[in-house]
Amino acid sequence: MNIRKNSLGMLTISLVLATVAPATGADWGSLKGRLIVDGSVAAPAALNVNKDTEFCGQNKLLDETIEVGEGGGLANAFVFLYLKRGKSVDVHPDLASSGSEPAVVDNKGCRFEPHVLLLRTQQTLEIRNSDSVGHNTNFQTLSNPAFNETIPASGSITKMFEKQESYPSNVVCNIHPWMKSFVLVRDNPYMTISGADGSFEISNMPAGELEFVFWHESKGNLKDVALGEAGKTDRKGRAKLEIPAGGTLDLGDIKIAPTALGL
Amino acid sequence: MNHGFFIAFNRIRQSQPKARGFATPIHFCSFANKTRLLGLLTAVAFIGGCDQLDPPAFRLNMVEAVSNETSTEYQQEIADVLGGLFGTPDEPFALPSTGLDLGKLRIAAGPVWSDSAGKHLGLYRKHCVHCHGITGDGRGPTARFLNPYPRDYRQAVYKFKSTYNPAKPTDEDLHRVLIQGVPGTAMPSFSLLPSSEVEALVEYVKYLSIRGQMETELIRYVFDELGEEEEEDENGNLVMKRYPLDPETDADQREAILEILAEIVDGWNASSEAVIAPEEAEIPEDNRAPEEIAASVAAGRDLFYGPRANCVKCHGPTGLGDGQQDDQDNWNKAHKVFLETLAGETEPELVAAKSVVADSLYPVRNAIPRNLRKGVYRGGRRRIDIFWRVYAGIAGTPMPGSGPASAGAQGTLTDTEMWSIVDYVLSLPYEAPSQPQQALPENPNAVTSAG
Repeated sequence: MNIRKNSLGMLTISLVLATVAPATGADWGSLKGRLIVDGSVAAPAALNVNKDTEFCGQNKLLDETIEVGEGGGLANAFVFLYLKRGKSVDVHPDLASSGSEPAVVDNKGCRFEPHVLLLRTQQTLEIRNSDSVGHNTNFQTLSNPAFNETIPASGSITKMFEKQESYPSNVVCNIHPWMKSFVLVRDNPYMTISGADGSFEISNMPAGELEFVFWHESKGNLKDVALGEAGKTDRKGRAKLEIPAGGTLDLGDIKIAPTALGL
Repeated sequence: MNHGFFIAFNRIRQSQPKARGFATPIHFCSFANKTRLLGLLTAVAFIGGCDQLDPPAFRLNMVEAVSNETSTEYQQEIADVLGGLFGTPDEPFALPSTGLDLGKLRIAAGPVWSDSAGKHLGLYRKHCVHCHGITGDGRGPTARFLNPYPRDYRQAVYKFKSTYNPAKPTDEDLHRVLIQGVPGTAMPSFSLLPSSEVEALVEYVKYLSIRGQMETELIRYVFDELGEEEEEDENGNLVMKRYPLDPETDADQREAILEILAEIVDGWNASSEAVIAPEEAEIPEDNRAPEEIAASVAAGRDLFYGPRANCVKCHGPTGLGDGQQDDQDNWNKAHKVFLETLAGETEPELVAAKSVVADSLYPVRNAIPRNLRKGVYRGGRRRIDIFWRVYAGIAGTPMPGSGPASAGAQGTLTDTEMWSIVDYVLSLPYEAPSQPQQALPENPNAVTSAG
């Protein structure tokens, strides 16, 4: 809450406003940057499709662990706000209703679509099977109850997660063990996934020093990554960054050594 | 509560032995003692001839610790906190909030002996420790030679139970496993023990599970919340400051640790609410006519090979368990992932630390789907046992559930359909293996090419 006014009358108003809109536009800021693999990356390997080959073998399935776009952009990396246990964060009014729409993970063509997903606590997740073969969804969580259910052809299940997870959860299909995806469940909206060109942005965060986690499925936390003038990620893949009020902290091109991805 | 916690932490200062990693120190007797015995019975000297052996200690979960880069200082502090909360293998302790019965734990823990009234004590070390290990990590001396490996209790994941997939087993579930054993594995039946002794062992298994869960949570808590940070000292120089795990003096940490423990205990307490109750009207009668059973078996067979239940994909077209065999259960997969991270590790110190742990792991084994033609059912051969397996799947393994995932949820199959699968599975050992299967792989070429 933002108590800065002097007179008693103004203070009261400030408190009332605080519950509706925590702060003015100038107190929010953004973070952006672009993750780039600093070196050449071999083309993704073909997967060993050895079950339901007639159906799953129709499309040439490739390993999606490391997706590198044009100019070496690293896709599918998670960047999200780190909060100490029990701490919460002010949420911009525009984001208050984010996560109210159901999210979908589809079993399609014997892969998960999307490969990576952001989910809010209490947001509905529909796990769908658009394939003509049966799948199962084995969802391995740390904080929420894990589950493993069959999803028949054209079937679907819906799930909701009560607690946030510290890291993306691994989702697999055991019938087709090459299938995997990662879902990050958080109870705030400040998280993103790098796009095909490696760029990412988180907007409308409360200005000031915030800590972020940089994570990629290949080796987990992206540790010791140089972030230009903003410093570098620590041993845990975390970095404290100053989010400017009314502005954007642009980390520019962030180079990731191939060894950091196990390459 | 806090008072008790303080007492617990004070106790540890006196009694907790130093944290032991993967390399448990070898307990040699004093040199003089050893030379005196050398000429006599060396073997006896090592097994039981010394009266100065350190008491057995719990081992740290080094896969978790090394994965989370837990420093040796933190390892010691975690061992101290665990010692405060749970005591030692000789002197178990449990806060009242855990609901664990200290009286039962004392019967199960400690060295094997009998009191003057003939009451047996040290039951865990008498019956369980050689496979499941002092820590309950499934790493007793015989474990390496068993297939399947003995259960590691520390994840608190149990396969043969009456509850929904993510739920903990009930006391009755654990009791049943001890009484019946696990057919087809090295786990024997303990039906000859008095039920009070079985109950003490069940309590001790829960204790080791809760302790193991707490250990993993503490390792993650240290990683997520504590660590070293750069700070300016009085001269303005940047120095690394370490935030110790010290709940005895840090009230926030104490609160967080008790909260984590309460969440773990809540999970166990919720198990009795999570028992799968089949719908009464759909439970097959015991005295069904042969035609009725045959019809149910036929329906189960269709489901087994059909795309909704999909059993055939893993259990194979002949039910021999020769379908999908490329996957692992959670325990083996965790080790596989650990070995993979070692393979991709570039920092020499981490390579060294992880290599030592990797060398201590047993070979990773794939989860082979059950051969359903043997008529051997690990979780019990009653219809309800197999119904629970089909309904909830088998926690910690690739086997998914086909029933509702929790009370009131929507399942893939109806109760009637699952009972039919049970009937079919129970008929499989008596179906001629040579009988041509109607649902051989859709693409025979794939079988040959997959090699």
